[in-house]
Amino acid sequence: MSSSQSIEPVTLDDVLKPNQLFRHHRALKFGHEFLQYYSFKKGFLNLNNGSFGALPKVITEACNELTAWQEENTDYYYRIGFIPPLIGVREQLAKLVGASDVDEIVMVANTSTGMGLVLRNFLWKSGDIIVRCNTTYGTVYKTIQYIHDTTPGVEISQFELLFPTTRQTVLEGWKRHIDKVKQSAPQGSKIVAVIDSIVANPGAWMPWKEMVKICKDVGVWAIVDGAHSVGQEPLNLSTSGADFFVSSAHKWLNAKRGCAFLWFSKKSRDIMLTTIPTSASYVSPGPERPPTNIISQFQYNGTIDYTPYLSVYFALQWREWIGGEAAIQEYCNKLAREGGKRLAETMSTQVMDPDGEFTLAMVNVVLPFSKEFSATYDASVSTALRNKLLSQNMFAVTFYHQQLWWTRVSAQIWNEISDFEVLGKAFVSICSEIVAEHKNARIPPESKAESFHSYLEHPFPGAVACDPKDGVGAHRPVTATTVVPVGYHTHLASIRP
Amino acid sequence: MAEVKTLHFESNPPPFGHEMRKCFSFDPEYINMNHGSYGSLPSPVAEAIKPYYAMAEANPDLFHRFTSIDLIRNVRERMAKFIGAAHTDEVVFVPNASHGLNAILRDFIWEEEDIICSCNTTYKSISKTAQYISDIPPHPENSQFTILFPTTHNEIIENWRTYLQSLNEARARSAHRLGRRPKIVAVIDSIISVPGALLPWKEMVKTCKEEDVWSVVDAAHSIGQELDLNLAEADPDFWVTNCHKWLYAKRSCALLYVPKRNQHIIKASFPTSHAYISPKKRNGPNFVEQYEWNGTLDFVPYISASCALDFRAWLGGEHVINAYCHRIAIEGGKRLAQILGTEMIDQDKDFQFTLNMVNVAVPFPATMSSDFEIDMAFRRKLLIKKKIYPAFFYHNGKWWTRCSAQVWSQVEDFEVLGEVILEACKEIIDEFGDGSERTMTDVDDNMENLAVREPNQEVVCIYTR
Repeated sequence: MSSSQSIEPVTLDDVLKPNQLFRHHRALKFGHEFLQYYSFKKGFLNLNNGSFGALPKVITEACNELTAWQEENTDYYYRIGFIPPLIGVREQLAKLVGASDVDEIVMVANTSTGMGLVLRNFLWKSGDIIVRCNTTYGTVYKTIQYIHDTTPGVEISQFELLFPTTRQTVLEGWKRHIDKVKQSAPQGSKIVAVIDSIVANPGAWMPWKEMVKICKDVGVWAIVDGAHSVGQEPLNLSTSGADFFVSSAHKWLNAKRGCAFLWFSKKSRDIMLTTIPTSASYVSPGPERPPTNIISQFQYNGTIDYTPYLSVYFALQWREWIGGEAAIQEYCNKLAREGGKRLAETMSTQVMDPDGEFTLAMVNVVLPFSKEFSATYDASVSTALRNKLLSQNMFAVTFYHQQLWWTRVSAQIWNEISDFEVLGKAFVSICSEIVAEHKNARIPPESKAESFHSYLEHPFPGAVACDPKDGVGAHRPVTATTVVPVGYHTHLASIRP
Repeated sequence: MAEVKTLHFESNPPPFGHEMRKCFSFDPEYINMNHGSYGSLPSPVAEAIKPYYAMAEANPDLFHRFTSIDLIRNVRERMAKFIGAAHTDEVVFVPNASHGLNAILRDFIWEEEDIICSCNTTYKSISKTAQYISDIPPHPENSQFTILFPTTHNEIIENWRTYLQSLNEARARSAHRLGRRPKIVAVIDSIISVPGALLPWKEMVKTCKEEDVWSVVDAAHSIGQELDLNLAEADPDFWVTNCHKWLYAKRSCALLYVPKRNQHIIKASFPTSHAYISPKKRNGPNFVEQYEWNGTLDFVPYISASCALDFRAWLGGEHVINAYCHRIAIEGGKRLAQILGTEMIDQDKDFQFTLNMVNVAVPFPATMSSDFEIDMAFRRKLLIKKKIYPAFFYHNGKWWTRCSAQVWSQVEDFEVLGEVILEACKEIIDEFGDGSERTMTDVDDNMENLAVREPNQEVVCIYTR
């Protein structure tokens, strides 16, 4: 491995051992047989690829080798070694997502960081308007809140996206909203819209390109939060019309956690003044500043582990070897639709999107609670759902929307339709347990709210045990590895999707 | 509560010196004399964290929603004690020192005629952060305090007081004009990067308090190198340190310390967290919660800080480790200066500036160019060709080398380095000339390294950390 310490650019293939698996074996069929390639605890039913992804074993091994390379001669790695492979990864991603140039793609730690970088680089002034949705992801939702809170006169205009709905209804509503914002905006102000390509809660694929066009037609900036997109839908960013697009490679693209990319069109690049943290290569705006200065800044702006970024190199090889993007996405999409139906049958509820307009690899199904029980939001129910799922060695996301509790299920290449039945049966017993326990639990009032969003304004600080046997407000440390019954509440668990 | 397992070792550690390389995974041919830039991960720590990676993949939801949160709280408690913070909740993890310092500097509500002060020796990315902040409205002033070596702690303390007093006079004039009192925020290095030099930062922080100036301490190099940290006593307004440098944690891992009285300054983490509450709706600090979740990362480096402390305890503990490193730094530095026929930057008889990093002048003529191509030449000749590498930098009219002494270092390494540098200097003068036909150029201008891709994708400059 140490043979190639040179001034000449090296590819990762030069540096690391070639992967034997990719050379010889043929991949197996998608489904439970694929579990052997992952490191899940035996019996763990993973129906939530969407939140944190999952790293295939071969990529874990490649990452260990990348770390060993880093430690061999750390100065070489940080001053010379990582640079060409990182450019190589950016080139690969540029090709994958239809960027027109490698310098339209930079790497960031995660989508929250990429979105934060873009939003905080705009020079906000009084009269500017940021458009978000009620469904905008928590960190982005709050970044917009923070900008509003710290820059006098920056307004938030919120578009209500309420499911179930149709793509047509969404587009009509969005157009009305954008037109109205544009009309009422003061002269000289800018309007910046944040659009999810695939919403997190619910897991819904949006007509985002059309939504972008509606914005661009009237001169509104379009920043697309595409966290779930790369690896779940084919992308062609240079023709998408978007100004910025951020996506996490560690969700659906099999990269190591801590890996996402930010794409910007050449026009939009001028908005990006600085990385966060600011880089040593930052040049003040003005005639002295090269147009590609931001690209230099992104190359190094503080010591990080580049392994997650470099893991994309192996992730793409893995995906090619197991069948390629189209085959993977086709399997997952089909399973999401069929699985969603089966899940709804098992729980005697319904699928949010029966026509599949909004469905790629994630599907949303109502949970079997009564309407009365679901009338207002209660963070303790959210926590209870998570705890009980984990105690049964399985996981899918649960969330509250439109006065109903839902589950969002991710269909992945290790899943089969029977997984959805198992989940459904589990939910039936979990939900009735929660209803019974909730009757007697002493839930702190701050745990409840009209809607998830009013709760999000002021999440409950700290962990409080509200077991019926305790007094309300009795503090106990979080015992995360021991799953506890309903009422045990941490605001973190209840608000992170 | 889930706790990070304590590491237990069955055998005794190897002796300090070259045998200690057994505990690290360096290329056997490489003599690492620049631990200070990026740190080094001991093999036992790399092994000890594998179970946490396994947990992260065994059940990603359990790990990221619950277990890692617990484990990191556990480690924060340990780190808070280690640095002498009054409360665990004054200490959070951030990816690196630059990140922590940016969180602080960006979140002040800047106003016209506020002053950010840094030094000519402030780490470049931080002085650029200050530059960026003054580039954007409302354009606070960017002011610079100058430290030129050779100097003494006392001289620096006196000059710092004079400097802050002059800023206060300027502030008084602004206040009179504006009808409100602007703020002054000072970035102070505890240990400068280049030169690698311990500053009298605690006294400088005290002076800040007396002069009503915010003290933001860039302590990137402190933890694991500066002994007996006691932040409750030193009481800076903000303090940030990298655990992946001298503490042996996995990259990247740093601590952001914000005493409770100042937590309201940091309104939002970067990126902003779900747990962010609008300041006007808060009824208490909203600090720790924001840093507990603000995006998916590899969290194991934060956990590794605890394993690193166990490893260091096995080696003999902080005092034993640093006594060795310090001795090697001084003896090695003297030896290197002897071979090169030059001097150490630290001219103090007690070496008050020297902990584990030592700076020795490179034997170039006084007219030598300060261009970064010289730094690049050293990189090619030493890092690549000779497989031995310390950092190089230009300061106050001279080129210097900064060597890090570590538990695997021996004085012999400095001797090898001395010969290699002598040879390299000859070659460099042959290649680039000795500058006798050029005029002396300004320090700042010439270390302005833009990271650029040359057409043939040759070496890119990374500023020395």
